[in-house]
Amino acid sequence: SFVRNITTSVVGTAALTREDIVPALQGLKKKLMERNVAEGIAEKVVESVAANLEGQRLGSFTRVSSAVRSAVESALHRILTPRRSIDILRDIALAKARGKPYTIVFVGVNGVGKSTNLAKIAYWLLQNDVSVMIAACDTFRSGAVEQLKTHCARLGVPLYERGYEKDPAKVAFEAQRAAERNHKDVLLVDTAGRMQDNEPLMRALSNLITVNSPDLVLFVGEALVGNDAVDQLTKFNQRLSDLATDAATAHTIDGILLTKFDTIDDKVGAALSMVYTSGAPIMFVGCGQTYVDLKRLNVKSVVRSLLK
Amino acid sequence: MVLNELGQKISQALSMIQNAETIDEKVLDACLKEIVTALLQADVNVRLVGKLRDNVKTRANNADKGAGLNKRKIIEKAVVDELSSMLSSGVDEKKLVDLKKGQPNVIMFVGLQGAGKTTTCTKYGAYYKKKGFKPALVCADTFRAGAFDQLKQNATKMSIPFYGSYTETDPAVIAAKGVEEFKKQNHDLIIVDTSGRHKQEDSLFEEMRQVSAMTKPDLIIFVMDGSIGQAAEDQAKAFKDTVEVGAVILTKMDGHAKGGGALSAVAATKSPIVFIGTGEHMDEFERFEPKAFVGRLLGRGDWRGFVDK
Ligand SMILES: Nc1nc2c(ncn2[C@@H]2O[C@H](COP(=O)(O)OP(=O)(O)OP(=O)(O)O)[C@@H](O)[C@H]2O)c(=O)[nH]1
Ligand SMILES: Nc1nc2c(ncn2[C@@H]2O[C@H](COP(=O)(O)OP(=O)(O)OP(=O)(O)O)[C@@H](O)[C@H]2O)c(=O)[nH]1
Ligand SMILES: [Mg+2]
Ligand SMILES: [Mg+2]
Repeated sequence: SFVRNITTSVVGTAALTREDIVPALQGLKKKLMERNVAEGIAEKVVESVAANLEGQRLGSFTRVSSAVRSAVESALHRILTPRRSIDILRDIALAKARGKPYTIVFVGVNGVGKSTNLAKIAYWLLQNDVSVMIAACDTFRSGAVEQLKTHCARLGVPLYERGYEKDPAKVAFEAQRAAERNHKDVLLVDTAGRMQDNEPLMRALSNLITVNSPDLVLFVGEALVGNDAVDQLTKFNQRLSDLATDAATAHTIDGILLTKFDTIDDKVGAALSMVYTSGAPIMFVGCGQTYVDLKRLNVKSVVRSLLK
Repeated sequence: MVLNELGQKISQALSMIQNAETIDEKVLDACLKEIVTALLQADVNVRLVGKLRDNVKTRANNADKGAGLNKRKIIEKAVVDELSSMLSSGVDEKKLVDLKKGQPNVIMFVGLQGAGKTTTCTKYGAYYKKKGFKPALVCADTFRAGAFDQLKQNATKMSIPFYGSYTETDPAVIAAKGVEEFKKQNHDLIIVDTSGRHKQEDSLFEEMRQVSAMTKPDLIIFVMDGSIGQAAEDQAKAFKDTVEVGAVILTKMDGHAKGGGALSAVAATKSPIVFIGTGEHMDEFERFEPKAFVGRLLGRGDWRGFVDK
């Protein structure tokens, strides 16, 4: 009834109980899922907000629903704001001083946009006067080498390739030597897409990373993905550390490149699922199919879209 | 396959009702909560899930009023009915799969970027080749770097003739030429691969309309990644609104994803899932039979092996 609405929504100075906040939280959880946040992540977010709010006292005339909403909003901000920031251009300059090419390996499941966004990163580096070489270490998928050849020709960047069916770890190794010989600042290593449950392929990837100790492992994930985002990040990280020959030097995901951001309108939830799961920052956002379609994540606008 | 896992979870939830002594609001809510969570974790559209929940509740409450009705049965049936209606498009998928030999069947593949069209095109051709068809592939993707090489290499592997161009930039022109050429050569299955596209870019959808207009396909297949989340419905609907999508193929079902996003594509396009992709290799491709799946749902028996390899 009207009266009940008034009396339950304005709590005054009484401490909040779980019953007070549950309805508002359930509504927000549903909204997050509609925006494509994974169910488990949406649940964890609202659960932690509930735990924080319980027992708090609201000022008079503060609605429970708006208190809950602003608590969720700040939780989302906190999650999405990177805990560690990586300044790639600075790190490249440092590597250059040491006379070593800075190596970035692109990893992820099939078809998410690894090769295309690798080419975008090459373009961005060239714009910043960084010299680049690309290594064709997807030696499996049809057309993968020609795809990179085309990009390299357009960008005027050398490609290191050994065709198909070669050991990708070995191709990457040789490419690093070639990049060094040719005084390239950066080596971008493309890898074949693979399902996170595919043991032999995950093992091969782990091997590539162990053998070549890259400076940066970029996980490429698409904004279209649903609940699987959680499993992808978890398993790539897990597999990369489990399967490394030496656990102490295991190299897991350093950062995320979120692609196809132009295809999802306000359903931006995959960003939250991925960051929440891995703790890795979203370093770049792919938002189109041309070289200039590479952006930084705008945390504020993601949070706004999530709660709109 | 992973839809199995969803089926199992639903069975489990329904057994809560079976095992309860009396079925009150609490038992029903607990059961529905499990079902709802399983569906949401499988990427089924949030709105569809809400609808299912409300409809089952309504039917259960109505049953309360009727005397002598078995409430357990009613709830179970309500759940299964709702799920079946999500899975079935109302179209008999067999008709779409049983192509007629000896006449040119032109099949156009469309879908979002990276969904698996080019890979699936060849798998599809190889599937029918085994059944005695004479397939041919046309590459109408002039946009993606290496697209023609990819199709060429796949086609060569499976010994399927292909057509494409490194210089022509208009996909509709290539598609028309390729289809015409292969019709002349009496191919009875001509498969047209197109670029990935998304609804936010009008010019890409216009291009798709043109390729369709020039090739007059007998069937347009919407290829969808099995791991897609909540954007599935909007995208599928936009494709359907632009061209006559008639069937859906779900790819990457060898992964961990449960494929629930595709259910909203079935609803949005009113088209059945006809095949699923289960790997990167050309033979990793299976028939999907929605009816068999729903049958298992009704029988609630064995959840395994409802797809015929
Ligand atoms: N709309 C849109 N499309 C993208 C974006 N990034 C990549 N794509 C497209 O996604 C498709 C797949 O891209 P690729 O770069 O080949 O993906 P990949 O991860 O290298 O694929 P595999 O190597 O086969 O695993 C291509 O059609 C790209 O043009 C993006 O940010 N937005
Ligand atoms: N694991 C697995 N990978 C698949 C399956 N189907 C396709 N792929 C992979 O998904 C990636 C993208 O496939 P493509 O066939 O290039 O996708 P597409 O839709 O043609 O991409 P665009 O033309 O860029 O839009 C490739 O790495 C394929 O090998 C599948 O069923 N399982
Ligand atoms: Mg690639
Ligand atoms: Mg393609």
